[in-house]
Amino acid sequence: MYTQPYPDGGQGPTQKQNVPVANSLLVADCGAVFTKVSLFGLVEGQYRLMARGEAPTTLGSSQEDITIGVIQAINVIEFITGRRFVEDNRIIFPEQDDGNGVDAFIATMSAGGPLRVVVLGAVSSAFEGLASQAFSGLYAEMRSLAAPSHQATAVPSPVSVGAYTPSAGSAWTQERTSMEWERQLGEMRAFQPQAALIIGMADGQAGPTPLQEACHLLVNAAKEWNERRSSNGLENGTPKTFSVLYAGAPQYVEAVRQMLQGVAEVIRVDPLLSQAQLSMISMAVGTLHDRTVLQRLPGYDRLRSWSSASPLATATSLSSLVRFLAQHYAMNVTAVDVGGTTTTVMLAGEQGEFIPMVNSTVGVGQSIGEVLQRAGLQRITRWLPFSVTEEEIRQYVLNRMMHPQVLPASAREVQLSQAFAREAIALVLEAAKKQYAEWPESDLVLATGGVLSHAPRFGQVALMLLDALQPRGVTSLVLDRTMLISQLGAVATVAPITAVQVNENDAVSHRLGTCVIPFGDVQPGQLAVRVGVEYSNGRQLSVDVMAGSIEVIPLQTNEQALLTLFPAPTVDVGLGPGERARAAEEIDGGLIGLIIDARGRPLALPSDETERHARLMQWAQALGA
Amino acid sequence: MRRERWPDGYGVKAVPLVYPGQEVLPDQPVLRFPATKQTDTGSGEVVPAGLRGRVVEISPRGGVVIESPAALVQGVIGAGKQIAGILTLWREKAGKQQKIPAGAILVVPDQINFALLHRAMSSGVSGIVAGSISLRDLEGFLRVDLIQLLNCADVDLVQAHLPPLTLLFTEGLGAIAMSRQVTELLEHYQGSIALLCGATSVRHRIFPELVISLPAEETQQNWQSVQPEAVLVPGALVQIYEGEHRGTVGTIDYVFTYQQVFASGIHARAVRVALEDGTWLTVPIIYVKRLL
Repeated sequence: MYTQPYPDGGQGPTQKQNVPVANSLLVADCGAVFTKVSLFGLVEGQYRLMARGEAPTTLGSSQEDITIGVIQAINVIEFITGRRFVEDNRIIFPEQDDGNGVDAFIATMSAGGPLRVVVLGAVSSAFEGLASQAFSGLYAEMRSLAAPSHQATAVPSPVSVGAYTPSAGSAWTQERTSMEWERQLGEMRAFQPQAALIIGMADGQAGPTPLQEACHLLVNAAKEWNERRSSNGLENGTPKTFSVLYAGAPQYVEAVRQMLQGVAEVIRVDPLLSQAQLSMISMAVGTLHDRTVLQRLPGYDRLRSWSSASPLATATSLSSLVRFLAQHYAMNVTAVDVGGTTTTVMLAGEQGEFIPMVNSTVGVGQSIGEVLQRAGLQRITRWLPFSVTEEEIRQYVLNRMMHPQVLPASAREVQLSQAFAREAIALVLEAAKKQYAEWPESDLVLATGGVLSHAPRFGQVALMLLDALQPRGVTSLVLDRTMLISQLGAVATVAPITAVQVNENDAVSHRLGTCVIPFGDVQPGQLAVRVGVEYSNGRQLSVDVMAGSIEVIPLQTNEQALLTLFPAPTVDVGLGPGERARAAEEIDGGLIGLIIDARGRPLALPSDETERHARLMQWAQALGA
Repeated sequence: MRRERWPDGYGVKAVPLVYPGQEVLPDQPVLRFPATKQTDTGSGEVVPAGLRGRVVEISPRGGVVIESPAALVQGVIGAGKQIAGILTLWREKAGKQQKIPAGAILVVPDQINFALLHRAMSSGVSGIVAGSISLRDLEGFLRVDLIQLLNCADVDLVQAHLPPLTLLFTEGLGAIAMSRQVTELLEHYQGSIALLCGATSVRHRIFPELVISLPAEETQQNWQSVQPEAVLVPGALVQIYEGEHRGTVGTIDYVFTYQQVFASGIHARAVRVALEDGTWLTVPIIYVKRLL
């Protein structure tokens, strides 16, 4: 596990001392689908969320300016508050005596898509893993292409059995090498990277050749692109150039620069050898994303001119807040953000552990097709309590891809969108668990993003989180109904008091409830756990929860209770099989109550369709979903 | 507006036949591609401008960028390379088969089907602008997985492998006719040469479009360009593009201050739309797009 530094190199939001005095702030989050703007102001000496507005992000071909969407969202706030914040398409600064205008404006952005980075050179599987860890908390999409000479010398040729396949274990003849060159050029053509990371210490059998081949590949790809550049004004006029991070053998950096002259701008970073270099590479890639993606968005300069600080990537802002919460409350916090193009799962531990997983190609809007492609039809339909044809699913996916801003029109569409959200989260989590052997259980799960925040019922949110994350033991679920948490990290960089007060008062205020998730070997229908609840008013309750079911025990918001768990001998509630657990402190209630999820881990759904539908409906009913 | 005249998918450099600053007419050749096995005409293929206007730039690959006062119809989904052709309205009459002119851009105001697409292609039609099409018919005709097509990174490469018929659907997938306003616009310019590009990419935010240069007589005196208005205010003519009333056109009658609850349980900002038949509909504000 590694810890990424804060983007400004500081210690996080709480340490920042530069606090401008602002009575009012407008905070915009420009997502891939929607732009959300919030107005914060002082109410009786405390910063509070006063209003929020939402409008589609304007990066479509008919409205190529991100500030149009921001202004439209601000217009909604003007409509609600009766105050004026925009005049002649400019924000009015500072706040006037009549209440019009604001003192500060801050923006976060996840629009614009990921930075596509190709990892080249002597790419072994270990280094590929390190590189993907370095990119995991950023809006970056990574592909790796190991140099043919590195593959030829690093991969031992196993004895070939059966039919001859040139790619598997055969000798590296000239023909195979040229086929590999063609394949890699094809991969570059299909992936269209904007940046490259070149790695390799030149101490292997192939010497510096992998570095040389990495340069050749970039030169050839640039040449090909310049010859046949895509139409529609995508990259009209200027020749193709890459941004290259060179993390290879230091003695060859000048040679690499010379080879890539006119094709790439080479930025030297420390050679990638171990986890120690990941933070630096993360920061360098983050800077490249700002420069190559965010700063090139139409309207960026205008947006930037409204604020004293540069717009921050939403994932960076979210990570600041999640780490702050983990340290402040001394607990493990998982944040889940499901957006139109990006799904983020971040885990921050009380000891400073941090696992960020941002997948910029998986979402429930434009990227919903990717979820279907990766998860497959069956994994999507297993969450639906009704039969559905492949054509209906595909039609739904295409409509979402083309109109990502559209809200579900029927209860059936709500369930379809939530099925995709479950699989988007699950895909990101699966990738995270492959990369990080240790994945601590969470004490708190924070949920945000349109499909979660706008879900019609709180029970639906709880089910999505429990199904997709499959937590164990005891955890609390919190919903960011106002979609503010991902903006608060950015707010904290200029106004930490505002961030803390709004966080306490408004943003993380939809506490869904505490969840107890027993797990172990027990047959459905048998007792999994007996739950003893002692309410703060002295009332006592004992509930038997059977394996395969979900129960909700009444425990409303602002209510507390002491909890005692008596698991069956083979069932674990976090202290070992059969070990009784009694909470040292009272647990808090929530909008749903105390949830006991005894469906088992891993969660197994009935294979029979009718039975599965019945079970899904039963679980939904238990949670009021 | 400015558009680069470049029929996608050739993968070679073209020879421009015009120079920056030159005025061009829609049927005037502006590019020549060298002869290939595919074109096999001996002297190569000549590409007409498709637009009436002024050449402002020659792009590095040899494409000709033309500035032209024009009307633009943006589609929801499409496919195929950029082509120029004569706008021809398709009117199917009972018992009478309309002759389909070769090289034309056929306008089909309603839903189109697989059979008509094939008939059009075999008649030598260059492009089709239609209201909508079913998913099955479109995938069957293109012989591709549409989800993969829309997600593909290399737009040029994909277009090169599609059937030689450029498509644009104003309403997208389903069985919806194009709005009366769009049909009237296309009727008005019937017989004009237009430029049609079907390329659609969700990844690159590219949508299909039909560009029709305005005739000289329409742009001579006191002509001012009209940009589409996006703000949804009472009195705005809008089309509902999602939900059970998809395709319906009406006028915004009221913009709700508070969020409304809809059948799906979703809370959303809403507008009340007065329909042409005198009834009203309350729909999420996000379901409507402004026509006028």
